[in-house]
Amino acid sequence: MPEGASNFSGTVDWVFHFINYINYFFFFLVVGLMVYFVWKYRQKGREVYARGPSHHTALELGWTILPTIIVVVIFFMGFRGFVDMKTVPADAYQIDVTAQQWSWQFKYPNGATSADLYIPAGKPVKLVMRSNDVIHSLYIPDFRVKQDVVPGRYTTMWFQADHATGEDDFHLLFCTEFCGKDHSRMNQKVFVLGEVQFDDWVTKQGRWLDELAKNNPDDPTILWKVGGPKLVGRCLSCHSLDGKSGTGPSWGDYDGTGNIWERLDKDKVHKVDGGKPVQDLIGPGRKYETREAYLRASILAPGEVIVDGYGNVMPTFKGQLRDPEVDVLIDMMKNLKDEDGKPNFDSKGKYIGK
Amino acid sequence: MSSSNPTAGAHAHNHGHGHGHDHGHDAHGDHGKYPFLAHHFDTPNQQFESGKLGMWVFLATEVLFFGALFVLYAIMRFKNPEVFSYASHYLDTILGGINTCVLILSSLTMALAVRAAQTNKQRMLVTCLSLTLVGAIGFLVIKYFEYTHKFEVNLKWGQAFYQPATEEAREIVKTAPTPAENPRLAIAAVNPSAGATADPIVPLPPVDRTAIAAPKAGPAGIAPAAMVEESTKPPSLAPVVKDNHILDPSMPPNTHRFFAIYYIMTGLHGVHVVIGVGVIGWILVAAIRGAYSSDYFTPVDLVGLYWHVVDLVWIFLFPLFYLIH
Amino acid sequence: MTTLDARSPIAAEAPDNYLTFRRGLLSWLLTLDHKRIGVMYLVAVLASFFVGGVMALLVRTKLLFPGEVTWMTAEQYNQAFTLHGAIMVFLVIIPSIPAALGNFVLPIMLGAKDVAFPRLNLFSFYLWLAGAACAVYSLLAGGFDTGWTFYTPYSTNTTLGGVIPVLVGVFILGFSSIFTGVNFIVTIHKLRPPGMTWFRMPLFLWALYATAVIQVLATPVLGITVALLVIERVFNIGIFDPSMGGDPVLFQHFFWFYSHPAVYIMILPGMGIISEIISVHSHRHIFGFRFIAFSSIAIAIFSFLVWGHHMFTSGQSPLMNVLFSAITFSVAIPSAVKVFNWLATLYKGSISLNTPMLYGLSFLFLFTIGGLTGIPLAVLSTDIHLHDTYFVVAHFHYVMMGSALIAMIGGLHHWWPKMFGVMYSEFWGRIACGLVFVGFNMTFFTQFMLGSQGMPRRYYSYDQIEGMAEAFKMYHHISTGGSYIMALGFVITGIYLLHSLFAGKKAPANPWGGASLEWQCTSPPPHDNFSKTPRVGDCYDFSAVRWDEKQEGYVVDTEAHTASTKNGKGH
Repeated sequence: MPEGASNFSGTVDWVFHFINYINYFFFFLVVGLMVYFVWKYRQKGREVYARGPSHHTALELGWTILPTIIVVVIFFMGFRGFVDMKTVPADAYQIDVTAQQWSWQFKYPNGATSADLYIPAGKPVKLVMRSNDVIHSLYIPDFRVKQDVVPGRYTTMWFQADHATGEDDFHLLFCTEFCGKDHSRMNQKVFVLGEVQFDDWVTKQGRWLDELAKNNPDDPTILWKVGGPKLVGRCLSCHSLDGKSGTGPSWGDYDGTGNIWERLDKDKVHKVDGGKPVQDLIGPGRKYETREAYLRASILAPGEVIVDGYGNVMPTFKGQLRDPEVDVLIDMMKNLKDEDGKPNFDSKGKYIGK
Repeated sequence: MSSSNPTAGAHAHNHGHGHGHDHGHDAHGDHGKYPFLAHHFDTPNQQFESGKLGMWVFLATEVLFFGALFVLYAIMRFKNPEVFSYASHYLDTILGGINTCVLILSSLTMALAVRAAQTNKQRMLVTCLSLTLVGAIGFLVIKYFEYTHKFEVNLKWGQAFYQPATEEAREIVKTAPTPAENPRLAIAAVNPSAGATADPIVPLPPVDRTAIAAPKAGPAGIAPAAMVEESTKPPSLAPVVKDNHILDPSMPPNTHRFFAIYYIMTGLHGVHVVIGVGVIGWILVAAIRGAYSSDYFTPVDLVGLYWHVVDLVWIFLFPLFYLIH
Repeated sequence: MTTLDARSPIAAEAPDNYLTFRRGLLSWLLTLDHKRIGVMYLVAVLASFFVGGVMALLVRTKLLFPGEVTWMTAEQYNQAFTLHGAIMVFLVIIPSIPAALGNFVLPIMLGAKDVAFPRLNLFSFYLWLAGAACAVYSLLAGGFDTGWTFYTPYSTNTTLGGVIPVLVGVFILGFSSIFTGVNFIVTIHKLRPPGMTWFRMPLFLWALYATAVIQVLATPVLGITVALLVIERVFNIGIFDPSMGGDPVLFQHFFWFYSHPAVYIMILPGMGIISEIISVHSHRHIFGFRFIAFSSIAIAIFSFLVWGHHMFTSGQSPLMNVLFSAITFSVAIPSAVKVFNWLATLYKGSISLNTPMLYGLSFLFLFTIGGLTGIPLAVLSTDIHLHDTYFVVAHFHYVMMGSALIAMIGGLHHWWPKMFGVMYSEFWGRIACGLVFVGFNMTFFTQFMLGSQGMPRRYYSYDQIEGMAEAFKMYHHISTGGSYIMALGFVITGIYLLHSLFAGKKAPANPWGGASLEWQCTSPPPHDNFSKTPRVGDCYDFSAVRWDEKQEGYVVDTEAHTASTKNGKGH
């Protein structure tokens, strides 16, 4: 087991190891006796002996009753740990979780959201979880907790992590219920922050864009340079930045018509909705006034226009991204390349420009 | 269920009249006497008993087959009792009642047919089997009329349930598709508990899909007080607008689920009746040819068992769907 | 009938056996002989096993690489593991022992000429073929990637076109399984010859009986569940789909109500085979016949009450979790009883390490691990951590493959001389068994480590976050290496078994020294199994079994055998 890091890991590990020692004992007993008997009573020649008892009631009753007692004990040990897991403390800090193919979103009481989970150290945390599409399951191995996230109902879980990891170290968070193509990419980090640091983070996260703009009044590009990479993580599970194929069309140049911003240019032909050039939809008086309007719609109402060769599978990000955040993403799309045509971002969305 | 073995070279295997017998003969002798006796059985009695046990075991699987659906019914009704008591009004109790009588009578004639075969009453056997067949087909005809009526008014499953079926309803949906605009439209009530990923055919009122909506009831007691209060209210009893369910303001949410389980259960039962018509027809033809006698009536007996179980299932279905309002 | 009477004395020593009784393809395709149907099942099941095995190797090979690979996309990976699971469960393990070996052995062991309903038997074989054909068609129709568990709403939402065909296939396979179960129950009840009392019936038949009961009672629920799933997918009726007011967790309940008992459909017949193998190859009365027999029945009953332990994290109510956890432990007890009884059977035996016995001992080893690792999965608090990780994968492979399938292979080796009248190479048999055993443990024991480290199952890649690949890579490499070794073992097995068909030494009637009825007819058995109703003794009483140099096999002195049983010497 990985090193435990929550209030449950102690008891769970203890029960697990306790069972393991019992298991070792019985395993070596069975296999040891088996090997010994096979050696001791090996057949000599072709002899057939009908020796040895055919039954022994007391012995058999014994090895029926002994396991019964052991499993009853084990059951109660597991039961007690489980009751703790299901009893959420009243003062738990609540975080709302939304799962969808294939990303997580964590929403804090002040409205701040993040793709990675940040929790305060030393405080019980309660996750209220729902799914927008299929069943997912939130699993943090280090905390020994797991709970399915089921569409159409709410599930909850809680835990408490006492040791802060800071923002440099983290625990892993997995989706463990098979949810389709990129199930194995629905992983995030869990950061445990000290109380002060966490409050700080969550306040900043609530208005991080404002902060960013306020702190850098002279640099209008800072928003997409720093903010873009922070927001783009959830996009990257389906859209690559370097032209590689994915669940959705790449933001990079995947068919020779340029990147996501360039291929919307009126001189290009980028086909959507079964062969129509998207340029017919964009322009004054048309469905979308500007390229920006088209991209905004693609994020907030992705079903309106479907790029040829791709399915209508993207969930809406309405209510999950605030307006300024959408603007930052569109700015990032505009600035995928610098003036020299070199990429500004690497394939993981990190800013690598000047 | 009876088996004979045409490849077992040495034996003759035409079905036909056997001769009088008692069960004490040695194995090979019986094979000579009873042409219907398959090679791997020793006595006709063993063959009959095997067939009968086989049928009972098979009927056990049938019971489990329907049993799973009854459990499903129970769970759905437990979750939405108001839906069941409301939607039951749309079922035609009189037609259902007639059908129940038809099936019970056909069960009676089936039992008489078995008796007739056991006592070598050839004419009686053919008459009873014919009556049973008539009953089975009659049941299907009545069921057909019930279904077609429901289809006409769109009492269907899934999304189709919320399609307007009449001119009046179409007009209303066209001009004022949301209940906010037209309070007569009941459709607003669909699925408050749903994740609502599929777009409904009739536009629903705009909801913020991303806001965390209140659950109907949840584990750990997170149901809000308003919902709890709502759920303790006595369920609405009867439709106000009977022929036009999507215009009925008293229609509870998720009513389409009643019709889902209704069509599944009565449909599966209907499939069994169709199979019944097939096998009853088959043994009727054999009976007319004179295949059965007091020596050999296994197929009649087994089909009889099957038919009684099919009837029995209906005896449960009828009250559970038609008589619960 | 006179013709039969005249033939009977000749049939006893006639070279005419069920394989040569009639010739030509049609005589096989239309046969009503349980032995031929069993052989056809065997061929079909082994072919499916090959396909499922190739899928497994593809999955394992992909996992050598933490990240994406060009030769297999995530979709293809998902389809590969889904196909592996669905084929192995529905086409291989469930029918392998009952339908293939059981069909062949059951009537002979019982002393009957055939199963009760030979036509139904043939019909269920063709149902199996139809189900398999649906599965093949589903691949042509676009494949399916739902996992073999078909969880809603993913299975109702996924766009791949093969979901409905494969569900139809599962439905049909279910009926194949039901009809086999009906046949076995009636055969065991009604076709026992005089003297074959319930407590003289070999434990394999007890196990098959318990299995048949589960097949008959649980499979219809699976049938209705997949039927509902098809209806939900086509008509969107709102039973399981939450967007129409349905409940996806309800599907899990229905699914596991069948699929947990299905685990015992797989393992119980395996346990039955092991009881035979261990007793015969130790030349020693099985220890505690009644405890083993009744533990089979107990397992069959408990199997219906524990399905909820697959759903501890699904959001079902905590009370249900507690109840299901408690009942689940009750299954551990009859399983433990069986292991101890087999162990005691070895005590003071006369153990020969033939290939079947090596598989039997492998079973004992692997089942002990598989059973014991079930305990932390039944315990509520530890299961929360281990659920849906590789720990679960390893656990059920130890039980389903390491136990059920190994028992099937062992049984195949045990009855191979009887089925085809030839002996295979003992030397290669032991080598292959060793390779399979070592390869298996390498493959799956490492997965216990992976699982307890937190590696989730059904993951295509494990490199997304720094540290993941480093944590899991080594175990995946060992595991994949093991799977190749295991595959090599199976390939060798296939080669020497096929070779024995054409060039194998002729098998004696009783090569191992068994005392149950199937060893009393010739190898291969005659068309009608027994020319006259056999005399039944205690099938685990080996006091009348002697080695016969002339036949190079064992012989059972039937007079002494039935007499010693009557005197109660065997007990």
